[in-house]
Amino acid sequence: MSSSTIHRDRPLITAWSAVSPFGLGRDAFAAGVGRGQPAHEVPDFDVRKVLGKAGTRTYDRATGLAVTTVRELLAEAEAARSPIATGGGTALVLGTTLGSADSCAGFSRASFEGDKPYDVPAQLMPNVLMNGPAAATAIRFDLKGPNTTVAGGAAGGLLALGYARRLLAAGRAERAVVGAVEEQSPTREWLAGDTDRTIGEGGVVLLVETARTLPPGRRVLAELLALDVRLDIDDDPAQALADTVREALDQAGATPEEVWAAAVTGQPAGEQLAALVGTEAVGRVPALLGDTGSAATVFSLTTVLSLAEHDPTAAGRVAVIASLDHQGLAACAVLRLTGGDR
Amino acid sequence: MNEPQRVVVTGIGVLSSIGNGVEEFTSALREGRCGAGPITSFDTTGFLRTSGHEVAGFEPEQWIHRLPIEQLGRATQFTVAAARMAVQDAGLDERELAGLRAQITVGTTDGEAGELDRMMAESVAKGPEHPADQLVAGRLPSHQLALAVARELRLPRAVPAVLGTACAAGNYAIGDGFDAVRGGEADIAIVGGADAICRRTFAGFSRLGLVSSDYCRPFDADREGLLTAEGAGVLVLETLESARRRGARIYAELLGYGLNCDAHHPTAPDQASVARCMELALADAGVKAAEVDLVSAHGTGTPTNDITETRAIREVFGDTPPRTVALKAMLGHSMGAASALGAAASAIALAHGFVPPTVNHRTTDPQCQIDCVPNHSVPADLRVVVNNGLAFGGNNASVVLGRHEEEPSR
Repeated sequence: MSSSTIHRDRPLITAWSAVSPFGLGRDAFAAGVGRGQPAHEVPDFDVRKVLGKAGTRTYDRATGLAVTTVRELLAEAEAARSPIATGGGTALVLGTTLGSADSCAGFSRASFEGDKPYDVPAQLMPNVLMNGPAAATAIRFDLKGPNTTVAGGAAGGLLALGYARRLLAAGRAERAVVGAVEEQSPTREWLAGDTDRTIGEGGVVLLVETARTLPPGRRVLAELLALDVRLDIDDDPAQALADTVREALDQAGATPEEVWAAAVTGQPAGEQLAALVGTEAVGRVPALLGDTGSAATVFSLTTVLSLAEHDPTAAGRVAVIASLDHQGLAACAVLRLTGGDR
Repeated sequence: MNEPQRVVVTGIGVLSSIGNGVEEFTSALREGRCGAGPITSFDTTGFLRTSGHEVAGFEPEQWIHRLPIEQLGRATQFTVAAARMAVQDAGLDERELAGLRAQITVGTTDGEAGELDRMMAESVAKGPEHPADQLVAGRLPSHQLALAVARELRLPRAVPAVLGTACAAGNYAIGDGFDAVRGGEADIAIVGGADAICRRTFAGFSRLGLVSSDYCRPFDADREGLLTAEGAGVLVLETLESARRRGARIYAELLGYGLNCDAHHPTAPDQASVARCMELALADAGVKAAEVDLVSAHGTGTPTNDITETRAIREVFGDTPPRTVALKAMLGHSMGAASALGAAASAIALAHGFVPPTVNHRTTDPQCQIDCVPNHSVPADLRVVVNNGLAFGGNNASVVLGRHEEEPSR
């Protein structure tokens, strides 16, 4: 699998899917973006109804979302007669903030409330581990390649993309399913405290491949030109965001004029981003889902891909996907949109 | 296409139940110290078995100079302290560090779960209407383990990542840093793992009946299970060229690593898949099985792990496998820190020429056919060590380290 060379070819995004507040699957998400109405909770998402009873007894919501999202991705690729290989060549990289805060809190609570402090639901132990959703997804779909959970808060999705890029460059996988999952739950609401942010949820994944391993007939939706990450250590988060966006554009060899769409998630920083790449690009990407944590950057990207699909002016232009979290971590990906019609 | 760089370990930072700092840790490994004792971090009333491995003598203010310590959870404090130890050990001052592109990847199982435990205790006591303490809630996100390192060491160009791949997370993080340095994405990697002992995980292992009544005895016929632990292991990785340019001391070379996923069962390891992970690591490192002198096993001391892992080792290395030690007998199971401490110990063993022992050992289980180097370390001229991390969820990671020999100057 691995090699003694470093591959420099750019990661390509060739498919995506989502389980979102707009419903199950890619088309539902794209339709929701088209409608432009805000939504925050995945509708009627009863894990065992959606996935069946076999093997799902111990799934929590985060795990259910992850498994269903990857199921949609694989099924859609199958339906498009461009199936995605599973097994050892396929990595799964998922971003998260806390894993399932609800499972963790419930497990801990059981220890305090039970007759004995070890009266905890042991069969649910994998759910308190951050890698629970990724591991359950691997079991369900035989994904035997690297299986990694990246905790990164608002930057989680982009950090997962950067991690996957390193895996592909080192030849540790031929393709990577990369994305993030965040669940809506009473615990997440409780931890958020008295905030005016609306908590959102969902699972969203990209299929990331390289020219070396692209199967014939696969459409390329976007090319990852650059990814930059930096930390505000001077108490000037706006500056950190500006630095990371400029650096990523610079690495990509792209100018602000080329930017067709741009979004920043985490802290509100739309105005700062607009100052860098123009109000038109920022105005193009509606923020409809509330705070989806580590999934937010990936949802930004799938929103852009949904819009680009129906807009010939996007072809060949650039998308800027940025995040700035409450801890001062700024990240930015720059992608070239290929704008192929379906 | 570029020629990959060779990657070496030039700094080590350690917090563990058998000693803090690389010197103390090295002596403890050589002496075969065991860090087990009564757990004091949380109230163990009502638990049947109450031993664990805690870090002693940890003074955060000794290592954390810039960040407000009270805003950091214990796992974050461990990570920052071990990272500062590691960069100091590597002989890097902050001026030198400031100009470098750094990859900071930290593995953890529980992150700041201990903080959430305390919040839940309060919530149970005061009722669901009681709001979450926002200061404590702010400590929870796991990625702060890496952010805090970048902040404390003032590294604005650091790419931070925290990998939550449970009990193999330390090795995952080391692998990520290896790829970042090897591929030229970063000038330096500050990588490893950290976890603080927490009630939730202890309760889970207790409920599963996996906690030992006295000590962790991997590969032993009478083993009863694991002891949960805490600690941090952080390595500084850089290219061989950069280490030579600086005149840095080199502990070992990082030759390669392997990652895979069982995709089989949430908690039970899969022998063929564990073997495959070691094979991937050897292939990545360009090392033949016969060249390996030592395996630092995941070795939790649970029946399932020890039997599956030793069989996988025999599958890869044949009927006369290299000596195979389980450091968890000394260190306990420090979760995300475990394989990072294992990698640190492997680098130390290569640099100093000894094999750390599997302590607390009485009789080897006939189903674990390996030489576990019982109770006493032995001098050994080691060339290559394989360090395993196997996690719930089937997340496996093996790291291969090799002895560094200065080539004679021409």
